[in-house]
Amino acid sequence: MPIVMFIDDSETALASTKIATASMPIDVKQYLSAVDALEVINSGEVMPDLIITDLNMPVMNGLEFLKEIRGLAKTKKTPVLMLTTETKDELKQQGKALGLTGWIVKPFNPTQLQAAITRVLRLG
Amino acid sequence: MDNTKKLLESMTEILNHIKEVQEEVMDLSKESVVTISNYLGENNLPLNDDVIKALQHQDIISQQLSATVVAIEAIDKNIKYYTHALTEDAGILTDGFDKLHKKLVISLEEAKSKKSAFSGNAMGSDSADDSEIEFF
Repeated sequence: MPIVMFIDDSETALASTKIATASMPIDVKQYLSAVDALEVINSGEVMPDLIITDLNMPVMNGLEFLKEIRGLAKTKKTPVLMLTTETKDELKQQGKALGLTGWIVKPFNPTQLQAAITRVLRLG
Repeated sequence: MDNTKKLLESMTEILNHIKEVQEEVMDLSKESVVTISNYLGENNLPLNDDVIKALQHQDIISQQLSATVVAIEAIDKNIKYYTHALTEDAGILTDGFDKLHKKLVISLEEAKSKKSAFSGNAMGSDSADDSEIEFF
């Protein structure tokens, strides 16, 4: 099963994404910080097929995390979706320039989130 | 000078009380949603999109309240700085008050900016994009 990594500093946000994707044929891995997620990627413990990350997080935000993983050979082309309350075009453009796959605004629609994951992972 | 100091101290006490209440509400609401989410997940209960969207509102509420807590902390810090300076030199009463006012206005603007940034599609935010998912 493809591995989908969810990163969000909110426990309740992670709980919502877990419930929303429970019926999908994916292996969900959740992290409360981008630093922790980066650590498991760096160590090779987890190699995600898709990363869905929050933007506003302490220590390392979603864009900083994206920049870090784009610098690694193994995640240079891993699809990344930003799941955030932010809607500013300026931030979207920054993400796009860093090779972001897409932008999802919170609160997300579960059906649309599933469709986005299906599309990116070509599960259909 | 004493009256000004007393008034400002009362304001910071009120604001800190509001901050404590907000922090308790955030903790309590988080605990509730985590409990409900775990129960729903463990029992494989059928959920529709509206319920899952509703569960996400706690996250939005927490972010909004966190932003106001940050604003209160900034206001508290600036008022304390001013009242301390006032104790040292009563002559700064007017000039210092102008500076304090400017700092409070900045704190308010930052808080308003965060309100917009942390609303997403919830609470009828004006900045919300109709299309929830955008691919690049």
